[in-house]
Amino acid sequence: MYVFDVRYRNTQGTLMRILNAVSRRGVDLPYVQAQPVEHNHKVTLLLDVNPKQVGQLCRDWRAVVDVIDVRAGARLKDVMDHDAWVATPHPPASTFEPLDPPHQALA
Amino acid sequence: MLKGAEIVLRCLRAEGVDLVFGYPGGAIMPLYDALDGSGVRHILTRHEQGAVFAAEGYARSTGKVGVAIATSGPGATNLVTGIADAKMDSVPLVCLTGQVRSALIGSDAFQETDVFGLTLSLTKWSRLVRSIDEIPEVIAQAFYWARSGRPGPVVLDLPVDLLKASAEFHGAVQFQPHPKSVAASADSSFCDTLLALLHQAKRPVALVGAGAKLSSATFELTELLDRLQIPTFATVHGLGAVPHNKPYYLGMVGMHGTRAANTALNETDLLLVFGARLDDRVTGEPTRFAPHAKIVHFEIDPGQLDRVRSCELPVVGDLAETIPAFSNAVNRASLPDWSGWLAIACAPDRAELESRGTAEPTIRFLDELFKRLPKDGIILADVGQHQMWAAQRYRSDSPRGFITSGGLGAMGFALPAAIGVQLANPDKTVLCISGDGGIQMNIQELATVHRLDLPIKMVIVDNQYLGMVRQWQQLFYNRNYAETDLSDNPDFVAIGQAYRIKSGRLSAVAMNEEELSPATRQQLERFLQSREPELLVFECPPEANVFPMVPSGAALSEMLLEEDAS
Repeated sequence: MYVFDVRYRNTQGTLMRILNAVSRRGVDLPYVQAQPVEHNHKVTLLLDVNPKQVGQLCRDWRAVVDVIDVRAGARLKDVMDHDAWVATPHPPASTFEPLDPPHQALA
Repeated sequence: MLKGAEIVLRCLRAEGVDLVFGYPGGAIMPLYDALDGSGVRHILTRHEQGAVFAAEGYARSTGKVGVAIATSGPGATNLVTGIADAKMDSVPLVCLTGQVRSALIGSDAFQETDVFGLTLSLTKWSRLVRSIDEIPEVIAQAFYWARSGRPGPVVLDLPVDLLKASAEFHGAVQFQPHPKSVAASADSSFCDTLLALLHQAKRPVALVGAGAKLSSATFELTELLDRLQIPTFATVHGLGAVPHNKPYYLGMVGMHGTRAANTALNETDLLLVFGARLDDRVTGEPTRFAPHAKIVHFEIDPGQLDRVRSCELPVVGDLAETIPAFSNAVNRASLPDWSGWLAIACAPDRAELESRGTAEPTIRFLDELFKRLPKDGIILADVGQHQMWAAQRYRSDSPRGFITSGGLGAMGFALPAAIGVQLANPDKTVLCISGDGGIQMNIQELATVHRLDLPIKMVIVDNQYLGMVRQWQQLFYNRNYAETDLSDNPDFVAIGQAYRIKSGRLSAVAMNEEELSPATRQQLERFLQSREPELLVFECPPEANVFPMVPSGAALSEMLLEEDAS
């Protein structure tokens, strides 16, 4: 797990572009916190990525028009102390139940 | 007091825009109402995708920002493919989309779509305009981001009530960006490192991409390469950046690149990349790309570095600055003698083989067309086999002389893009080559060609298949030609005539003669020299293939040749 701090000007869509750089790679976003910092904003992300993805994300973020600075954080265990919520499984996207007999006949 | 629509048009004029492409509709109607007397000429296409591709053709051939306009909802969504195309191929584009009135946004109103959200990942920058007072600043920003750094597309979403509202207009504004905290340009120490790498290299090569043209640095780059005298090749978007008759130039590289280029790239120990993003069509299997080489990557967009393969030395900046800096260093230095390596890389035994199988008539047809084209003629290719054959046979030295949808590979691109190219270059011959599949994706733009009487030379390479897909099915899917049969194509000559365009056909048999017959020569010459729009349908063998070919997942060294496949 890596921690990233991205400082940006909070213009229309900038936060979405930062998050989209992650989601387009199929990477989950278990932790995201955006907040104002001085005259700008900062978003902190916790991501389960490999070293190559760290480089790619940092470069993608720096290419976003209103991103000011990107810091690739240390691994989770060195910085945060939240093993409990990290271990929390994701809620399932959907649940499946067996078809009842009339619907099974149609299937 | 001016209406928002008038302010938009005034600001476009201030950005140097005098030509836009579009299609009207409800939400954008006020903008159309203000066109008369605005100084902005509007070109009506017959589909919004035609408008955005035409704007791209205009931008690709001039380097200026192309502008496309569409209404809300389906009008805006029809622009999306063109926006994606501009993003992939670094085309400066501003799209203005109408939007429902501000109070209805988010209510799933008639013809409402979240264009801003839809295009977030496809745009350099975008804005849903929220007040009429923002318009000058937003347009200035839009054009700045579209053309700066690595060019790309921008979307401005304009609610209809803002276009109808009125406000004082104090004139267009200039946009000054905030300086980035991270330095975006290389310092001069890269020259020392690069010279050291050159001194160690035994087999250096150079790869030239679109960046060389976008930075208008082709002259400086050619001077540098003349000094280095190392094997050089180009991506499909780099074609024309280096004069093709240079003794060190090996042609196009990559999936359908030349044997010599692919072989040299596989053998090199130092790869200099100038303005190319190392797309997977160029690298083949990335883990086996240039396996022995250190990479020096000259690139303006830091996001493209280390994306596919790590580089030893990134040189971030505009080639217009970094190449002269490096050239100065090279001119003061002594370089190793690579003449032996150059002789090996350019040896006749690495040249293309003569036998081109059933592709011969089509390749010959393209050669006959290209050699009759004026030196400053512009060729557009759609997407497919004809595109690759055209790229392989392109021999001009005009940097913006070969235009195609490379990164996205969007079929239907060429015809509408040719409209933009011809309007931007009224005195040049514009040759537009499409396949029988791609032409049908935007065939409605023949109406635009006719209305404007644009003397575009339109060729349809008709093999009655989705040819490139059929080729893959033949080679990798046991000839299972699933859903690629176009043998029931309409009569394209009749369609051209229905659009009131002079149309004719030529059979592949005409290309079998060692010397073209007088009738065929006359037909080709008349076709190219005509000052009217012309359509020529070339009926070619159905099962011809493009070789060399690097299969998906294979290294460049594993390219298939014609004899391998048979």
